[in-house]
Amino acid sequence: MDGCQSGVPTYEGDLHVVAAAHHIVKALGATKNLSDDLRKILIDLDSHLSMITSNIDSKGGRGLVDVEERLDQAERKIMRWETDPMMIWDSGPKEASDYLEAVDETGKLVDGLRGLSVHENRKQKEILHRAMNILQMAMSRLEEELIHILVRHGQQFEPKHMYSRSIRKDIVYDESFVSVEDEPIKETSSRNYSNDESGECIVDLVHADVIPDIKSIAKVMFTSNYGPEFCEAFISVQKEALEQYFSFLGTENLSIEDVLKMEWTCLSSKMNKWTWSMKIIVRVYLASEKQLCDQVLGGLGSVSSYCFLEISKATILCLLNFGEAVAMGPHRPEKLLRLLDMYETLACLLRDIDTLFSEEAGSFIQLQFHELLERLGESAIAAFEAFRVAISSNGSLYPFAGGGVHPLNKYVMNYIRMFPEYCNTLNLLLKNQHPGVADQVTEPDYGLDASLLTSCPMAYHLRSITSCLESNLHKKSQLYKDEALQHIFLMNNIHYLVQKVKGSELRLFFGDEWIRKHNAMFQQHAMNYERATWSSVVSFLKDDNPGSSSMSKSTFKERCKGFSVAFEEVYKTQTSWSIPDPELREDLRISTSLKVVLAYRTFLGRNLAYTDDKCVKHTVEHVENSLLDLFEGSSRSLRNSRRW
Amino acid sequence: MPATDYQASFLGRISIRRNQVIAMDGNHEQELQDLELFSKHVSERFAELLSSPDDVPFDALLSISWLRKLLDFFLCCEAEFKGILMMGNDPSQISKPPLDRLIPEFLDRSVKALDVCNAVTNGLESVRHYQKLAEIVVSALEQKPIGDGQSRRAKKALTSLISAMNVDDKECSAAKATERSWSFSRRGVSSKDRVPEHFRSVSNHVAKNWSAAKQIQAMTNNLVPPRGAEGSGLASPVYTMSVIMVFVMWALVAAIPCQERNGLSAIHFPAPKQLNWAQSITGLHEKIGEEWKKKEKKGTAGLLDEMQKMEKLGNILMDFTDSFQFHGDITDQKAEEAAAHAAELAEPCRRMEEGLLPLQMQIREVFHRIVKTRTELLNALDQVGKSSPPLL
Repeated sequence: MDGCQSGVPTYEGDLHVVAAAHHIVKALGATKNLSDDLRKILIDLDSHLSMITSNIDSKGGRGLVDVEERLDQAERKIMRWETDPMMIWDSGPKEASDYLEAVDETGKLVDGLRGLSVHENRKQKEILHRAMNILQMAMSRLEEELIHILVRHGQQFEPKHMYSRSIRKDIVYDESFVSVEDEPIKETSSRNYSNDESGECIVDLVHADVIPDIKSIAKVMFTSNYGPEFCEAFISVQKEALEQYFSFLGTENLSIEDVLKMEWTCLSSKMNKWTWSMKIIVRVYLASEKQLCDQVLGGLGSVSSYCFLEISKATILCLLNFGEAVAMGPHRPEKLLRLLDMYETLACLLRDIDTLFSEEAGSFIQLQFHELLERLGESAIAAFEAFRVAISSNGSLYPFAGGGVHPLNKYVMNYIRMFPEYCNTLNLLLKNQHPGVADQVTEPDYGLDASLLTSCPMAYHLRSITSCLESNLHKKSQLYKDEALQHIFLMNNIHYLVQKVKGSELRLFFGDEWIRKHNAMFQQHAMNYERATWSSVVSFLKDDNPGSSSMSKSTFKERCKGFSVAFEEVYKTQTSWSIPDPELREDLRISTSLKVVLAYRTFLGRNLAYTDDKCVKHTVEHVENSLLDLFEGSSRSLRNSRRW
Repeated sequence: MPATDYQASFLGRISIRRNQVIAMDGNHEQELQDLELFSKHVSERFAELLSSPDDVPFDALLSISWLRKLLDFFLCCEAEFKGILMMGNDPSQISKPPLDRLIPEFLDRSVKALDVCNAVTNGLESVRHYQKLAEIVVSALEQKPIGDGQSRRAKKALTSLISAMNVDDKECSAAKATERSWSFSRRGVSSKDRVPEHFRSVSNHVAKNWSAAKQIQAMTNNLVPPRGAEGSGLASPVYTMSVIMVFVMWALVAAIPCQERNGLSAIHFPAPKQLNWAQSITGLHEKIGEEWKKKEKKGTAGLLDEMQKMEKLGNILMDFTDSFQFHGDITDQKAEEAAAHAAELAEPCRRMEEGLLPLQMQIREVFHRIVKTRTELLNALDQVGKSSPPLL
């Protein structure tokens, strides 16, 4: 532009030069594949040259008159709208394009006049000022039109349509670990959620039809050096729209202090909501916002990414802060799965974040994401440790009534049943934890045929968790005075443990060897139970003298009575015991039956001579049927009821 | 070593132990040295901050670069503090009186400081917005000759700038409400009331009802200088670090737009003058407090030096654009003055452009550091709790 300021040419020769230059510029301008920048330069040059020509033409007369006429025309078009209550872009495409044309013309005139030396010519100066004033009015107006279009055509989208499947309705084990002793536990679970489902989904945040309008406003504002005004208006509206959407998602703003004080159930639902909002905000909203910025501000260098950053920064930081607050809160065991959810969400969004904020200015946001990811990972590990500690230190003062499956066992097994879904993440996080953990676990070597899964870090940790659990259960079993009940309790609980492992993906991590070993364990306890309970009872029926044919009547009577009393005692006690698993209960009854009923039948058979009503209190059938009442969890008595 | 020497020193130690009750061995002497060094560094650093010359704009009190220096010093002090507290030979100290009470209080303060950091980070977004508006003013007025068009353009941006600065100062939630209704209903289908300005106030990314002033007030709860024997132990660095933390947060809130700052100047924290390190902090506190009181009445977005310059020049240029529009034209002298002021305004803009993002990142660094130290302290307490016999 400086080259043109050397003054208005006055010689014929100059005129020719100018005309020739003008010609070249026009010819160049007709070329199709020009970059936007170059085209703009040519257009500017074109308007300068025509200005110079008109100036030379007139020798201070005709040219300026011509310019003034053009300005008058543009001014009329622009001023007409100053008093019109309608918005231009609402009035129709023709109106809009006329307006833009007039603005464009004004801009060209301003550029052309600026290129001339204005000091000498008062008239020129006057026209320039007038043109710039008109331009300012138009720019102000365009800014308003822009805001109007953005607000009016901004589109709300329903988050539910996007991620309906990821709202987890059945949250398993949200209750805190502390409540283990007394809360009933829901056994159903489903984690209807997967990381792959969330493909790119970009929506139109602003109706697609008006994108060209916004673009044309951007173009003319940037051409006239009103770029900053465009950006501030655009950022203001879009930032606010994002904030509104954010509150529409129901993610309220919480201070870190609030989060740290929050009750577990409330925090858990907020953590869930965060996971969900984070995905929608990043994958859908911000991806769409980025697209909008690129569509509108594409070819303007870093403007697009600047606007995008300004629009999204505050909301992103707010989301990140909640994550930070959660990560720094107390590491309670029940937090583990929610933390893993947050971790996984963030981990799978990292790539999106790195793309969205790839520019240098956005590296700040990128960094914050990476930091939070690390923090959440640490926090998850800490919660994992807390889980282990909680299992070991869960103490009871009284024996668990009936010897059934202890709530701690249920809690732990149902909780870890979810772990395989987080296998990759847990393996990643646990990899560097306690490298010696394999030694700590006092499990036998699983042999060469153990699959890879049984030797991954998570498998080690799972087995170490269950061995903590087992030793705690052993401790709890010591609270029973009755040795038989100790065995029932351990049988029940180890059986439950094995069932839970076998019936879920956990079996892949525990391996067949572990299952075999634990099967044997509970079977051993069953046998120990039988021995502890029935050996003494059956001993009444033993034939002390296998050689002789029969015993004396008095001995028979005595034995019979001893058996009845002992059997009744067992009946009374053990009907109140419980074996929750029907199959296990059945098995134990059958094997008991085999032992007791057989012995009883043989005993009576051998002594048929004495079997009158009086001394044989129970028939074989009655004993057999009575055994079916055991382990139902409700105490009964045989003594008072004489049903036979 | 002759036996007598050994005995003497041994007995000496015992007698010291008896007199002072505290274990007085070589490590303790080391500890005392560390404490002394810590408070020496603190007083040196804050003395440097206090002596920042007002006439050198770059380093002026509460300028961006000054705040960055402040945060730098905070990080340094914090690192030393943690070293003293955690690297000590006897980790169980932190669970014994008086630290068993002082450390949890300190951690409580830390959490509050985190929320202040976030509020201030948010406030910087507003400052960024002022910067952009001021840049528009500069670019409008640096064109020559200044015509009505540029004057209007500048005026429009100035109006936005000045009202944005005022909006930020009022109660945030209220301002937010007006802003919302403004931008979404200001032009119904046909209503024609043209005041195109773009307000952008501190966005509501801090919890509702949250008050920066109350938060800092709460940070001063239980903050009393250690007395008597406590003064020579670890209680004193905990106290020192607490005062530094409160002061830094307080200064940030005074400088940068923030939610609800009523009563900020009324906050005082007891930093006894006889403590060497406290003198400079008290001095700074008084100086900034005075400044705040002056501005509080008028309402201010914050004491950030760059913002104050912006406000001052903004008002001057506003008068200029007013008179321009009134008279239709202006004298060359006036025009030159205005151009000079515009050029002056470009200076804080430039410094904001250079300094705001680093400042924001540094505040975030402070945030992460506080989190980290808190976690480490909690872990240490946890460890100590595990190793000591359970209280029955």
